[in-house]
Amino acid sequence: MPCHCNTGRLEPSSIEDISKPSEQLAHVCLEDLPKLPPPYDDFNDLPPYKPLTESAREDYEATLDDTMTVGLPKAKSPEEEKEAVDKFLTGLQKLFSKEDNWTFLQPLMLSMEHCAKCQSCVDDCPVYESSGYNEIYRPTYRSEVLRRLYFKYIKPGNKWYKKFQQGDIELNYTLLVRLCELSYRCTLCRRCAQSCPVGVDNGLISREIRKIFSQELGWTQKDLHERGTLQQMTVGSSTGMNTLVVKDNIDFIDEDMTDRTGIEVKTPWDVEGADVLLIENAGEFLAWPENHGCIGLLLDAAGISWTMSSDIVGYDGVNYGLFYDDMQLARVATRHFEIAKKLKVKKIVMGECGHESKALAPISDRIGLDLTPRESIYTLMRDIVFSGKIKFDPTKNDFPVTLHDPCNLVRSMGIVEPQREILRYLTPKFREMTPHGVRNYCCGGGSGFAIQTPFNFNDWRNQISSRKKFEQILNAFKDEGHDPDQPKYVCAPCSNCKGAIRDLFDYYGAKAKSGYYYGGLSEIIVNAMVDAKEPILDWEMM
Amino acid sequence: MIITLSVYLSLLIFLVAIVARGVRIVNTPIHLRWELYPVPHEKGRSQYGGSRMEEVDWWTKPAKKDSINELVVMLKEILLLKGVWEHNRPLWFGSWTLHFSLYLLIGLMGLQVLSAILLLSGFSFYAEIPELYRLLLKYIAATGFTMGTVGAVIMLKHRMFDKKLRMYNTKSHFFNIIHLGAIYVSGIFWMIADGGFVEQQAELFKGVLSFSQFPAVPTAGIVHVAIVMLFFVYLPFTHMTHFFTKYFIYHDIRWEDKPNIPGGKIEKRIVEAVTQPVSWSAPHIKADGKKTWADLVAMTGAEKEEEV
Repeated sequence: MPCHCNTGRLEPSSIEDISKPSEQLAHVCLEDLPKLPPPYDDFNDLPPYKPLTESAREDYEATLDDTMTVGLPKAKSPEEEKEAVDKFLTGLQKLFSKEDNWTFLQPLMLSMEHCAKCQSCVDDCPVYESSGYNEIYRPTYRSEVLRRLYFKYIKPGNKWYKKFQQGDIELNYTLLVRLCELSYRCTLCRRCAQSCPVGVDNGLISREIRKIFSQELGWTQKDLHERGTLQQMTVGSSTGMNTLVVKDNIDFIDEDMTDRTGIEVKTPWDVEGADVLLIENAGEFLAWPENHGCIGLLLDAAGISWTMSSDIVGYDGVNYGLFYDDMQLARVATRHFEIAKKLKVKKIVMGECGHESKALAPISDRIGLDLTPRESIYTLMRDIVFSGKIKFDPTKNDFPVTLHDPCNLVRSMGIVEPQREILRYLTPKFREMTPHGVRNYCCGGGSGFAIQTPFNFNDWRNQISSRKKFEQILNAFKDEGHDPDQPKYVCAPCSNCKGAIRDLFDYYGAKAKSGYYYGGLSEIIVNAMVDAKEPILDWEMM
Repeated sequence: MIITLSVYLSLLIFLVAIVARGVRIVNTPIHLRWELYPVPHEKGRSQYGGSRMEEVDWWTKPAKKDSINELVVMLKEILLLKGVWEHNRPLWFGSWTLHFSLYLLIGLMGLQVLSAILLLSGFSFYAEIPELYRLLLKYIAATGFTMGTVGAVIMLKHRMFDKKLRMYNTKSHFFNIIHLGAIYVSGIFWMIADGGFVEQQAELFKGVLSFSQFPAVPTAGIVHVAIVMLFFVYLPFTHMTHFFTKYFIYHDIRWEDKPNIPGGKIEKRIVEAVTQPVSWSAPHIKADGKKTWADLVAMTGAEKEEEV
């Protein structure tokens, strides 16, 4: 049995259980997980789920489930615990105040006060389903905890009436540390919000819970905050690259792309008055450098006037504030806008990154005045591909291809067709996943999970939050067999999604076992270019 | 007279509480965009969930709005509970019967207001109001009460025995269903007790509109009216206000895709919001209760104490 537990399945039997001290509130046994399609259906062949170490359990608040990503150190004294509870209550008040939470007060208040508790949303949550329907991951569980706290401590009214309407809950330190971790078990994909007949948004509620902890208590996930937005605002990028390093890397990428395609690629920097300011997720330059190379090549080939910025934050579109903190979200986005103004560009084009696109386009549309227009690279690429300026030979992409829809670009921005038009034209063996488009499933790396690796969080992600995506991919290619020498390509045009799918394929050995590969959209386009001397998709190197 | 005054009082409480709730929602500050696709007014794109952001230089092109499709989507949701049908099929029948019976009874009330106006204008209920109209009222009432009773029983069963719901139920869920069920059952009793239900109800509305004495009705009628009035008082203080707040949830959040245009209304509201002082306490926020949102956004969050 791959599960290491002696306890069997554990889950809360009431909302109030979250406040009751116990060693662990929930445990998912691997045999409870839904079976994957063959050849990944035998539990004995699958990687075991590494348990948290004893020392991690001793040093950190590990009483929620089998993993940790925030990793809160244990409180040193009851006074410290009390102080945290008091701060949380103050934060809760601020969350429902016009001055402190103008950004989301109306959506949050409406979601708090109008849930009918009909549970119409729950079956649409891939995390809940993939956990074998463990109660702790039900999208309404954490929302219900916050709702009860809101009615008990914030909403005016008779306490007995409020209890009668909404139920009760005890606010204590146990609840606090569990709720903080639990807010990081939702990928914020908002599939559940789509399913709610009333319009209640459990994804938003998860995000707002993270926000109280971050903005009032300073409890944050380190990859998102310290190594994320803070590093980005000071060094220039959440990758840690400063201007010199990023320019050096881009030079290398340009040279490599020129060598491989025989087409000159040269990234322009800080060109005042260019039509397009390209801002990509800087993680691409390190993990998937060919993505930037391909985008640069296509922009040049289409004769577009473009530039990148070497200013701090200007060369990294990452904005992890979207996942946990409004102030950090606004700070990063404001820098992007300031840089666009300084360079006097006509528009910002956001690279193949879902959260960057959502953070900078619709969300940040209301954080400032007279903002430079923003556009997704998908739409620009569609125009380039069909402009007639570049010759393509779709037979160069004569391998099975499926498309992963990044939630932030599709469900939250409605950019659904441009990427499909390209793939239908350039990949003869394109097939959709089921479901797809705005009803897609998250890759499992949403809300920053893809870059979070503390403790055994990777195992949790690969076994639970990415499980549904893996099942979808397996089903999309089910008619192709599992010959590893027959490459099958998952087009995942988003940096976080690629990160999650990379880890997923590594975890299950999907490349060696089934010939599964993944990559972006621009690579597929350049791979089909008649003028490119070598294929960009080099299966040996991928 | 006590009954008449109680009717006015309950209607007054209902109206004041609903308006107050609406005003509270409308007076919240502008929020960041948080739409969710498909957005039904996206002309030619809503079928697959697309938006105008699919076009290059979309801000230079006029937004194409499909208000008819938006209306159709709303009607399907309101009348057929499409969301529940698609995402929670086992609950649909009970929920739909319970909701649709309410629509029927609201429709009945609307028609009875018309009846009351006719009576106040001197029309005789039996001699001058067409029988077809009277029959229509009777059938609407009978269908509404019957459907409502069935819906309440089914929903009560779900709330009691459905594992999916059980942990999330509160006492109010049972009370709400029983309360609604009592409205329907008492309505049935009123109809059975006396063949003059339609006329008596019309007289009752006439009395309310003309500030006159409560008419003579059977005990079942008085019980029915009392339960309905209690419901009017209770409803605004429950989650069931989603009957009207859903409008804001859909139009102001889920389908709200208006861009921020220089010099526009949105921009004005943003200025109001970002000039408010912020008081979040985490170290990276750097708030002191005086600095505004705009002041704080200009910082990095990594400044040392002496730099703040």
